[in-house]
Amino acid sequence: MQLNPTEISDLIKKRIESFEAGTEARTEGTVVSVTDGIVRIHGLGDVMSGEMIAFSNGIYGLALNLERDSVGAVVLGDYKTITEGDTVKCTGRILEVPVGEALLGRVVDSLGAPIDGKGAIESELTAPVEQIAPGVIDREPVNQPMETGTKALDAMVPVGRGQRELIIGDRQTGKTAVAIDAILNQKGKDVKCIYVAVGQKASSVAGVVRKLEEHGAMEYTIVVAANASDPASMQFLAPYAGCAMGEYFRDRGEDALIVYDDLTKQAWAYRQVSLLLRRPPGREAYPGDVFYLHSRLLERSSRVTADYVERVTNGEVKGKTGSLTALPIIETQEGDVSAFVPTNVISITDGQIFLETDLFNAGIRPAINAGLSVSRVGGSAQTKIVKKLGGGVRLDLAQYRELAAFSQFASDLDEATRKQLERGQRVTELMKQPQYSPMTTAEISFSLFAANEGFLDDVEANKVVDFEAAMLSYLRSEKSDLLDSMNESGNYDGDVADSMRAALEDFKSKNTW
Amino acid sequence: MSELTTAARPYAKAVFEMAQESGTLSEWSEQLAAMSAVVAAEDSAALLSHPRMSKAQKAEIFSEVIGDGLTDGGRNLLMALGENDRFVLIPEIASIYEVLKAEAEGAIEAEVISAQEMTKKQEGAIAAALQKRLGREVKLVTSIDPSLMGGAIIRAGDLVIDGSIQSRLQKMKMAMAR
Repeated sequence: MQLNPTEISDLIKKRIESFEAGTEARTEGTVVSVTDGIVRIHGLGDVMSGEMIAFSNGIYGLALNLERDSVGAVVLGDYKTITEGDTVKCTGRILEVPVGEALLGRVVDSLGAPIDGKGAIESELTAPVEQIAPGVIDREPVNQPMETGTKALDAMVPVGRGQRELIIGDRQTGKTAVAIDAILNQKGKDVKCIYVAVGQKASSVAGVVRKLEEHGAMEYTIVVAANASDPASMQFLAPYAGCAMGEYFRDRGEDALIVYDDLTKQAWAYRQVSLLLRRPPGREAYPGDVFYLHSRLLERSSRVTADYVERVTNGEVKGKTGSLTALPIIETQEGDVSAFVPTNVISITDGQIFLETDLFNAGIRPAINAGLSVSRVGGSAQTKIVKKLGGGVRLDLAQYRELAAFSQFASDLDEATRKQLERGQRVTELMKQPQYSPMTTAEISFSLFAANEGFLDDVEANKVVDFEAAMLSYLRSEKSDLLDSMNESGNYDGDVADSMRAALEDFKSKNTW
Repeated sequence: MSELTTAARPYAKAVFEMAQESGTLSEWSEQLAAMSAVVAAEDSAALLSHPRMSKAQKAEIFSEVIGDGLTDGGRNLLMALGENDRFVLIPEIASIYEVLKAEAEGAIEAEVISAQEMTKKQEGAIAAALQKRLGREVKLVTSIDPSLMGGAIIRAGDLVIDGSIQSRLQKMKMAMAR
């Protein structure tokens, strides 16, 4: 709609009339030194820890260190325009970011300001960046599945709504790919997604956003980006900002999924800020509170009770539980999971997905190590049919690994061992899945069923991938009713098994691969 | 600056307590002012950091520069500072001392910056209002800054009360831009 000139001047008149500027009393300080994004301030006697402070040129800072004669603060933005002697004032507020539906489909920075060139974000609501996680009383057990659409994960390492499942691995092992596939799989499932990119190349973030747009996932996704070139203060704040945006949905009785990509870089940024603030360094030069840095963030991901939702929304939303599922990512160096930050985050989360370079290079993608990957709470949230059918797969793979190592020395093997090896090879092949193609529960069930019931035994190991692709396209075109009903109910009983068997027999008799 | 303050605080406190006991608060105030003036002088830095002079010599020269205004206590303070190589702290010591002194006397210095010259009546009203708010005696130091356009800014310690037209316009600009 076009505004005409009188309307605009009316608007301005209204604004001027409603504008109130009383005499303002505030405490002021002076900048003493500016070093690498850290500002020391003299004065500012009433400042509170974590309070936002305003520099004279309109840039904001965050007071982190309150010392006897000075205040140490980080600058949120470009610190080059701040000089010694500038005045600083308290704002009496803590850091807040805009939250709400208006952010969906947008790319924002750590302060919630848009960086995608699509104009201002029309959001009235804001939420503090740092919030205390819901207490014991407000929590509901994790018992609903959060389908990732990745066969190997949904079958062996299931994730439930409200769970924190760590994705850990060396660089270039497909950590981001697993997380992005999980976001893509939420299409049409009424799960809001938040992708927090910390310390990444701007080109990688742009690539992710483009992929999300291509697959129509951007409409239910918020991207919070603090790129490698952004100040360390913004990089360490980005996960908290993203979490505040996710909590909005959780607290309104909706389900949300947040990906922190990655927390290693956030810890680096926080280490930089801490060392420049002259806090004492500890192990690996991280400050003493690096555990708390991650634990307070990940504790905020939870499933909350309907009572909690009702209380928080003042009775607006009734009888709905909310959840915020977290998929934090940690990058290891040379597979060293005993480094400081990986051990911390492993102990905080409810399980981990291990990705390995060797598997990745051997062409097993996603490169999930089935032996080391666990989900501590997801089992109770798994869809019944996948749980029933997936149990065998895990066992097959475990036995296969054991035998494969052992049989390297043996020249001839007995029948049972050979069979088990062949089964293992086929299941390993079956767990491969191309990127950006999440599978539905029914499709996963069919793949697992085929392996369990021996439909793969007469398929050559290197043909398993083709077999599965042919099977899925057959099922999608010929048996879509069956797939739909399986997705709908998620139950497994004799009838379902019979119709699945019939479908597969029909497929094998009619098709080649 | 903050590090200087931290280092200067014990000296200032010691001087202040001594002066308070002996009832020589204003005498010490003058002495410290004189010392600060010496440190602030352009050539003094070179002299006081001269590598060929002993610490005692420096303190001696320093006290000679000030001359008669120095009591025994003042001379000893210079010796102590010289020994620890802390002459740079003197201005800081003086300012902390003044704060302590003002506190002890129940007075606080408030700076009033106004757009136009204020009448005696206005000054009196501001002083009275400040006294009520801060709960102690207020010493007003006034100055004029035409760029404020109207109103005044009052500074007392860290507290700033901003009632200037300039800052109101600034705020209005922010509100309109939103």
